[in-house]
Amino acid sequence: MGPRWASGGKRNEEQGHEGEKKPKPQYVSAFRALSGYIREHALGFAAVFGCTLIAILSDLLQPYLMKIAIDDNLLAGVNDYKGLLLICIVYFAFSASSFFFTYLQNNLLQRIGQSIVAAVRKRLFSHILKQSMSYFDRMSGGSLITHVSSDTEALNQFFSQVLLSLFRDGLTLVFIIVMMFQLDAGLATYCLFILPVIFVIAVLFRSYMRETYQQARTRLSRLIAFVAENLAGMNLIQVFHQQKEQERQFQERNGVYFKANIREVRTHVLFGRTFDILSTLCIAFVTWIGGWAVLGKQMEFGVLYAFITYIRQFFNPINTITQQWNTLQSATVAVSRIWSVLDSKPAVNDSEEGMAEVELNRVKGEIRFDDVTFSYREGHPVITNLNLVIKPGELIGIVGATGAGKSSLISLLCRFYDVDRGSIRIDGTDIRDIPQRSLHRMVGLVQQEPYLYSGTIIENITLFDDSISREDVIAACRFVGAESVVERLSNGYDTRLSERGSGLSAGERQLLSFARIIVFQPPILILDEATANLDSYSEELIQRALNLVSAGRTTLVIAHRLSTIMGADRILVMDKGKVVEQGKHRELLARGGYYAKLYSHSQGGGDSALYESLTEKADAIN
Amino acid sequence: MENNPRLLVHFFRQAWPVYALSLSLHFIANLIHVYYPRVLGQFADMLQLGELTRSLVLDYSLLLLLIGIGHVVFSGTAMYLVMYVGRRFESILRGKLFRHFTGMSERFYSSNGVGKLLSYFMNDVSAVRESIAMGFNATSNAVMLFAAALVMMITSGIPLYLIAACIAPMLLIPFIVVKLGPVIRTRSREVQESLGAMTDMAEEQFGGIRVTKKFAVEPIMKGRFGRAVDQITANQLRLVKVSSFFHALIPLLGTLALVIALALGGYLAINGGLSLGSFVALTLYVRMLMNPLQQIGNVVNSIQRSRASLQRLNELLSQSPDIVETEGAVTVDLAKADITLNHLTFAYQPEGRPVLKNIQLSVAAGTTLGIVGKTGSGKTTLMKLLLRTYDPPPGSIAYGGVDVRDMALENLREGIAYVPQDGFLFSTTIGENIAFYRRDAESGRVEEAARQASIFQQIAELPDRFQSKLGERGLTLSGGQRQRTSLARGLIKKAPIMILDDSVSAVDAVTERKILSSIAKERKGKTTIIIAHRISAVKHADLIIVLDEGAIVQQGTHDELLSKDGFYRELYAIQEGGMRHGSQMGEWRET
Repeated sequence: MGPRWASGGKRNEEQGHEGEKKPKPQYVSAFRALSGYIREHALGFAAVFGCTLIAILSDLLQPYLMKIAIDDNLLAGVNDYKGLLLICIVYFAFSASSFFFTYLQNNLLQRIGQSIVAAVRKRLFSHILKQSMSYFDRMSGGSLITHVSSDTEALNQFFSQVLLSLFRDGLTLVFIIVMMFQLDAGLATYCLFILPVIFVIAVLFRSYMRETYQQARTRLSRLIAFVAENLAGMNLIQVFHQQKEQERQFQERNGVYFKANIREVRTHVLFGRTFDILSTLCIAFVTWIGGWAVLGKQMEFGVLYAFITYIRQFFNPINTITQQWNTLQSATVAVSRIWSVLDSKPAVNDSEEGMAEVELNRVKGEIRFDDVTFSYREGHPVITNLNLVIKPGELIGIVGATGAGKSSLISLLCRFYDVDRGSIRIDGTDIRDIPQRSLHRMVGLVQQEPYLYSGTIIENITLFDDSISREDVIAACRFVGAESVVERLSNGYDTRLSERGSGLSAGERQLLSFARIIVFQPPILILDEATANLDSYSEELIQRALNLVSAGRTTLVIAHRLSTIMGADRILVMDKGKVVEQGKHRELLARGGYYAKLYSHSQGGGDSALYESLTEKADAIN
Repeated sequence: MENNPRLLVHFFRQAWPVYALSLSLHFIANLIHVYYPRVLGQFADMLQLGELTRSLVLDYSLLLLLIGIGHVVFSGTAMYLVMYVGRRFESILRGKLFRHFTGMSERFYSSNGVGKLLSYFMNDVSAVRESIAMGFNATSNAVMLFAAALVMMITSGIPLYLIAACIAPMLLIPFIVVKLGPVIRTRSREVQESLGAMTDMAEEQFGGIRVTKKFAVEPIMKGRFGRAVDQITANQLRLVKVSSFFHALIPLLGTLALVIALALGGYLAINGGLSLGSFVALTLYVRMLMNPLQQIGNVVNSIQRSRASLQRLNELLSQSPDIVETEGAVTVDLAKADITLNHLTFAYQPEGRPVLKNIQLSVAAGTTLGIVGKTGSGKTTLMKLLLRTYDPPPGSIAYGGVDVRDMALENLREGIAYVPQDGFLFSTTIGENIAFYRRDAESGRVEEAARQASIFQQIAELPDRFQSKLGERGLTLSGGQRQRTSLARGLIKKAPIMILDDSVSAVDAVTERKILSSIAKERKGKTTIIIAHRISAVKHADLIIVLDEGAIVQQGTHDELLSKDGFYRELYAIQEGGMRHGSQMGEWRET
């Protein structure tokens, strides 16, 4: 058991490293990956661009219009009120159109972005679903969920925030500069010198802010985890009278979080104020230089007014754009992660030719292993030269220590993996020549931990397939003896199960998974430790259901409790990837070999090593 | 907020000087700030009158700079102060909540899920903090600025009706924020919820991938997932409709104000009713006021939210724990105390179905009691009452003749070592988990306890041995390993009384036997109560009781019970003679 712990620790360490190491965003390849989607919506993006242009116009023109009003109307001493009114009308028209086009632009962009993100999500999900089991062994469930939810959400933010800001703020910035040059090239040139300074300061501050923000977030999530755990274990804390000690530990974490918060607040305030000071500095500078120019009659006052307003407007887009920088980075990383998932090819594929769907009710259920050799890692075969014939309808029990190859045998039969050498045939057809869909329907599997979805009892048995009638489900439940369990529930067959079927005992959950088998009618059935972990009553219940379900099907039963398989037509005893003994219970006992030894251990005698190795598996799966 | 004063009153009584200081700083900052348009206005007037000189220009620029810096420094300090006390408040309140949580009994936890309590702890506390920090800053800033700007405009000779006309459209801003803010919030919550639903579905799908693959229902699952994704899209689009309307509307009102300023102010300026400087200042003031008005709307929304939060928090903190030490609680020497149950009847709800019925039992000090029974027969409830995690009826449970309700809680709980069934462990090192009763216990004792629980060997094989961390960022233990660690945590206490609640159910038979014999050795002469599913665990007890539907249906020693017809013998037959089912299997198949 030691190695299992150790490997668990190692995996976590690796994940930890992954989290710390910041992957370098690869902008070019990420953009290339998305380009297909973007090209598809080229027209839409062009429309968004157009809308943005009109939308920002009124904001940009306002100082310019004011300048005209001041210089041409007010300062010129011409009492041209009509001109002024015209300016007002023009300005208001621009504002109204800005209102309309801002709305349009936001909605349009969101619509495009959402349809791309939804497409990526669906593609990613169905791609992952297509992968063979070895892929799921390799990838942790957590990281796959991250890809589907967080990474695609980062992509979504790219569209709804980054792109929006790039369009809007980028264009605003460009136009402000153009306007400034239009007004006074000399003064504009001076102002442009400040631009890089602002950018550098903003970017530096942003990355520092991000750091403090993340530190606070990490500490917060540790605090939450601590509280959640303590709330869950409060009973224990009180029974051990450890309230004081736990509170001390809480205050320690709370204090650390507080410090991180204050640091974040300080950075935040400092950043905002620095930006304000920079903006004032610019205005003072422009007033000074511009004021002299106005005095020297090189410039009109209206131009100066417009300049000052533009300078003030200048800071907003820069601020927002730098804000997007971090989002852009994480979106880029997310895109490259998503595409690395999309690049993986399923290890098990349907061969091209002769892939006729198989009719389930014509399958007899004869299984033949011909000289099968298989290894997860090259050079370490877990199954070597295995030959085995299972007759249709036979009930086979499989026993053996952990690592004997029992589960691998099952995985090969389900074609979760492909054999290295040899072949596996069902009714004479190599399983590689059977479409995976048909094969999977043909071979049913009941696992130790029955997996239930959040849905009603009916949905859990039909697996959300509407084409299966309610009557069939009820009949199946009645058949396996789950009827009384279901009737006890508040809404009968329409009771919603939550969180992996909580509210039902392990045995009751297993009964439901037997009902599934009855509904789907696979001609071949595999039970992988399906009766482990049950109390005596439930075990009896399940044993009874098992006998009903296995009738008329070729059935393979893996069990660590010998009592489960003692009545099998044939028991296979596996060791080191080979079948070392086979026969009926009595024959094997009489032989006095490995099986007889296992049996006497399970009866409670002898040293514990062997038995423990058997039960270890049950422990490990827990 | 006035209707739930407790929490905040206490806070403000301490923090008011900071708030007063912050408020004055805000005042000064805005007083300085409103000079900015005025200075530019004067600049324009001087220019128009031709009185401007080069040195005056420099003075004006320096003045502008000074105004900017002054405003920034004062308002920055004011904001920081209040944000600091806000965070302080949050931290103290969380400490208070945690302490409150540690005092609440199991009844409280069974009616409030961890998720709900965490939401008090996180969301409600943050909401209140936001109001008293950000809310205060934004309000005082906006109010001060608004007042100062108004005064400035009036004193610089801008006619009142002109000011009113310009400001009028902008006064709509707070109303719009209050109106649309909650709608945006609801819709964005819907987006979050649909995102969460999709994540849950992905989690479920990848967890059950074997089922999906084995039953070849991939197309159906893809369809379900696709619907979850489409729901997100629909919710996002619903959100963007309101939010973009909102974000476009606010500037529109601002420009409307500007247009009025331009038309009306310009008209007055042309007719000489307004100086150029005042006109310039007016347009600048209008721009200045847009932001604070929007913030006032935000504050109204945030206060509305936090009011509900504050009420929830106050209610939570006013709940008093139902298990409290009576005054003058007694200390009992548990090593010599007999445990007596006298007509114990108990229901979780006052009017509910009794879980335990008229239990009459006496456990002599130093003996071992075994309890067997089906799931739901009341075994665990009995343990909870013995530990007083629920209050038994007065006079029904006594240790050494003293009612459990009159005992000091510390005496009771330190004197009993309890090993729960689920083997709950904390995310800290294995060593600390075992030495939970006293974190500084010496390593020799920790190791001894681990040996007794048959877990030492496996811990010793770990790279960090007893220092190995458990939990999310550390090791994951199997059910059996967790149970054995939890057992070691109980054994190390060497308490006068020990309660084992089905504590070895996930351990294999051979290890179970080893553990039971080491428990028997360790607990020799000490009171021990063992609850079990398996007969093997209670076989050697001095007294075994069989519980069924809350009542004792059988009691006696192992041999006595076996000699009688009844539940115990049935159970024994199933467990020890379990082999017969296997042989029946073939027979059934043949029929």
